[in-house]
Amino acid sequence: MPTSPVKTRIPLTSFGHLITEVKRQLLGIEAPATVELTGWRKHFNTYTLQGRRNCVLVTYGALVLTAAAYMMIRRNKEEKTGAKPASP
Amino acid sequence: MALNFFDQFMSPTYLGIPLIALALSLPWVLFPTPSSRWLNNRLLTLQGWFINRFTQQMLLPLNLGGHKWAVLLTSMMIFLVTLKMLGLLPYTFTPTTQLSLNMGFAVPLWLATVVIGLRNQPTVALGHLLPEGTPVVLIPFLIIVETFSLLIRPLALGVRLTANLTAGHLLIQLIATAAFVLLPMMPTVAILTATVLFLLTLLEVAVAMIQAYVFVLLLTLYLQENT
Repeated sequence: MPTSPVKTRIPLTSFGHLITEVKRQLLGIEAPATVELTGWRKHFNTYTLQGRRNCVLVTYGALVLTAAAYMMIRRNKEEKTGAKPASP
Repeated sequence: MALNFFDQFMSPTYLGIPLIALALSLPWVLFPTPSSRWLNNRLLTLQGWFINRFTQQMLLPLNLGGHKWAVLLTSMMIFLVTLKMLGLLPYTFTPTTQLSLNMGFAVPLWLATVVIGLRNQPTVALGHLLPEGTPVVLIPFLIIVETFSLLIRPLALGVRLTANLTAGHLLIQLIATAAFVLLPMMPTVAILTATVLFLLTLLEVAVAMIQAYVFVLLLTLYLQENT
């Protein structure tokens, strides 16, 4: 997509972009090249866009699964508590 | 009926009719409509020049996808600046001191930028939630923090506008009351207080324009991330 001829400003609202620039300019830490990432790190890393997306999706999925498991356990507990007075 | 300092922020009604609608439509009346003439008068030329210049400046960091927002952002800026400047006049009501109005501006516009980002480039939009180069141990924590910072944006936008204007109006009223009360008792102190009031009024004029600009600028930044 064609962009403005003026260099895009780093958005002040994104802390991550600032950290990346600081690491690169002050500390000389460069992101590893894509070819160096092998195995599971090829799909789950914090350097490529796809890697970051996959990490975010896995984190959200883990949160949703944790919440679902908690709700199911709580419902089972309530059912057991509700069933208890009925038994002799 | 004795007035307290917060009565100026109550939404005015007359015989059950909310007057905030009148207050919101006042900026529309104040700006002349461009005519079909080739050369307009000075006022229209100045208005057109300002709008063009402002739009050009606003759209500098945006790509072509964000240029569709030009009319919305420019009209929002002019609307907010006019409402605030009119609100600085004595005995007027400032609609932008109402949190409901500011949240009504902030939430839909912020949500539009998020939905545009998720619809057109979901990978980039989700990738923004994790800073590049994050250590593995910090990944879940930072994702949650960035999600919260994303969700807090509309609240910050609305509350920033409300709080700045409310605090400014309240300060003006307090210092004006102090100057008025001190005048018969200690005229010298009253003159000093009046000087402070004059400087504060100048500051509030600047704050009014800056806060409107910050609101629109942050929206362009959110749009830049998502287009």
